[in-house]
Amino acid sequence: MNRDVLVIGGGIAGMQASLDLAEMGFTVHLVERLPTIGGKMAQLDKTFPTNDCAL
Amino acid sequence: MDVGRHPKIRLLAYSEVEGVEGEMGNFRIRVRKKARYVDENKCTGCGSCAEKCPTVVCDAYNVGLAKRKAIYKYFAQGIPSVYTIDAAHCRNFETGKKCGLCSRICQAGAIDYQQEDRIVELDVGAIILATGYELFDARKVPEYGYGRLPNVVTSLEFERFLSASGPTGGHVYKPSDLAVSEVLATLEKQMRTSSREIERFEKTFEMSSERFIEKFNSGELTGGHYDEWAGQYRSFLPLKEKFKRTKERAESLKTAHRLAFIQCVGSRDSRFNGHCSAFCCMHSIKEAVIAREHDPESEVHIFGMDIRAVGKNFEEYRNRAEGEAGIKFIRSRVAEVTENDSHNPVIWYEDTKARQVRSMEVDMAILAVACEPGPSARRLSELLGVPLNEFGFYATLTVPPLDTFRPGVFACGCAHGPMDIPESVAQASSAAARAASALMGARSKEQGAGSGEQDAESRKQVAGSEDHGAKAKKREAGKGE
Ligand SMILES: Cc1cc2nc3c(=O)[nH]c(=O)nc-3n(C[C@H](O)[C@H](O)[C@H](O)COP(=O)(O)OP(=O)(O)OC[C@H]3O[C@@H](n4cnc5c(N)ncnc54)[C@H](O)[C@@H]3O)c2cc1C
Ligand code: SF4
Ligand code: SF4
Repeated sequence: MNRDVLVIGGGIAGMQASLDLAEMGFTVHLVERLPTIGGKMAQLDKTFPTNDCAL
Repeated sequence: MDVGRHPKIRLLAYSEVEGVEGEMGNFRIRVRKKARYVDENKCTGCGSCAEKCPTVVCDAYNVGLAKRKAIYKYFAQGIPSVYTIDAAHCRNFETGKKCGLCSRICQAGAIDYQQEDRIVELDVGAIILATGYELFDARKVPEYGYGRLPNVVTSLEFERFLSASGPTGGHVYKPSDLAVSEVLATLEKQMRTSSREIERFEKTFEMSSERFIEKFNSGELTGGHYDEWAGQYRSFLPLKEKFKRTKERAESLKTAHRLAFIQCVGSRDSRFNGHCSAFCCMHSIKEAVIAREHDPESEVHIFGMDIRAVGKNFEEYRNRAEGEAGIKFIRSRVAEVTENDSHNPVIWYEDTKARQVRSMEVDMAILAVACEPGPSARRLSELLGVPLNEFGFYATLTVPPLDTFRPGVFACGCAHGPMDIPESVAQASSAAARAASALMGARSKEQGAGSGEQDAESRKQVAGSEDHGAKAKKREAGKGE
C-alpha cells in the first residue's frame, strides 16, 4: 500500500491539489509537461471577479 | 504559491507520464523527464545565457506576439526557476553548427548538451488528473477571419496585450500597426547595406553621388563601375523614401480605440462544441473593463447571444461593467467579420432586439474562443484506462463527482470540463480530499475495516463508462468523415 499521490498537470488546479495533499502530510509528485508550472493562469493579466493580478 | 518549495512536493517539470500499471494503492508510474540540456541543480536562473544566445524564436507564452531565445525560461517568474534549451531551434542541435555560446557564458557550468531524457519510476497510491484545457483554434471559423485579418485576435492574445509585462507593455496596438516596426527593421538593414556600397564608390571616385548622377545622366561618365554605381544609387533613393514614410507611420502608432468582443467562438455551436465554455463571458467583460481603464476614451462592445455571469458577484461585475465602465452589450450572434481598406475589422451582426442586420467598424475584434480538452487527454485516457465523456473531457461519476471510472484516479479543474479559477480551486481541494480518503480507506481496509464499497456500487450504477468512451470515439470518427 503506497500513500504517495501523483498529480498530472501543474496549472492552478494541480497546484492547489498538490498543496492540499502536502499539507495533509502526503508526499506528492507533480508532473508538468511544460518547463514551468502555472498553466493558463500564468498568462492572464488580472482575474475576475476581483481583478487581482493572476500571479 | 509555494509549490516549488514545499518539502512534501516533488516537482517534475518538463516531464510526461508514459506508463501506468497496477491499481489503487499500488500504481507504478513511468515518467519521462525531458532533457533541458541545463542542469537544474546548478542553474541559478541568472539569464546571462539567453542574453547572448544568437537564436531568436517565436514565444509561445506570449502566444507568438513576442520573441524569445533558443535558451529560455517559459516566463519570468516561472517555477522551477531554471533555463531550458529548445533543441528544435538551438544551433548546436538543429543545424549541427558549432555555437556553444551559452555554455561559455554560464558561470555555473550548468549547460550540458549531452544531457538525455531520463525515465523516473514512481510508486503512488492515487492519481489526480489536472491537465487543464486547450483553446479552440479560431481558424476553424473562416467567417471570422482569424489568421487572415491581422486585427482579429483571440482572447488569450488580447490578455497578453493588456499585460504590463506583455509584448506591448500593456498598450493595445493594432497588430497591423505592430507589423510596421518589423518592416522598418528590414528596410533599415537593406538601406545600410546599400549605403555602404554607395560610400565605397564615393570614396573610390572622390565624388558625391548627387554630382556623379548628374554627370552620368548627361552621358559624361559611362561604362563598368559607373553603371554599377548608378544602378545602386537609383535603387537606394526609393528605399530611402519608403523608409522615411514607414518611420513616420511607426512613430504615429495609435492604440486601438474601438474594440468588439465576439462571444461563443467554437462554443454553443453545433459545428464545433455543443458546450458552453463557462469562463469566456466573464473574461471578455474583464478584458473590456481593463481596456477601458487603460483608455477611457475607447468604445467597447460585447456581442453575444446572452451573458452567462454565473457565480458569486459575477452578475454585479457585469452590471458594473455596463453601468460604471460604460461597456455596451449587444445581443446578437455575429455572422461575419470583414475588413476595410485601413485593415479595420467590420462586424456584421443581427441586432436581435432591433431585428436588423447591421455592421460596425472597429479597430480590433477579440474572439472569445472555446475551452476544449487538452491534446494529451486522449493519450492519458488510454494510458490510464479512464474514459472520456462526449465532450472529450475526463468522464466522472455522478456521485462522487470527481472520481473517474477507475478507482484511485480523480479529475479536477478544466481537465474535467470548462470552469473558472475559483471553481478549479474548489474542485482541486475536493479531489485532494477524495484521494486522501481513498488512501486512508484503503489502508483501513488493509487493516480489515472494509470501506470503499459504496464507491464500487456507485461505479456500477453509473456503468456508462464504456458507453461514454465509445460515444466520444464515435464523435471523433464522425469528424473525419
Ligand atoms: C483569455 C482567458 C482569460 C481568463 N481569465 C480568467 C479570469 O480572469 N478568472 C478566472 O477565474 N478564470 C479565467 N480564465 C479561465 C482559467 O484560465 C481556467 O479556469 C484555469 O486556468 C483552469 O486551470 P487548470 O489548472 O484546470 O488548467 P490549466 O491552466 O490549463 O493547467 C493545466 C496544466 O497541465 C499541464 N498539462 C497538460 N497536459 C499535461 C500532461 N499530459 N502531462 C503533464 N502536464 C500536462 C499544462 O501544461 C498546464 O500547466 C480565463 C481563460 C482564458 C482563456
Ligand atoms: S544556464 Fe547558466 S547562464 Fe543560463 S540562467 Fe542558468 S546559470 Fe545562468
Ligand atoms: S461563457 Fe459565454 S461566451 Fe463562453 S461559451 Fe458560454 S455563453 Fe458563450
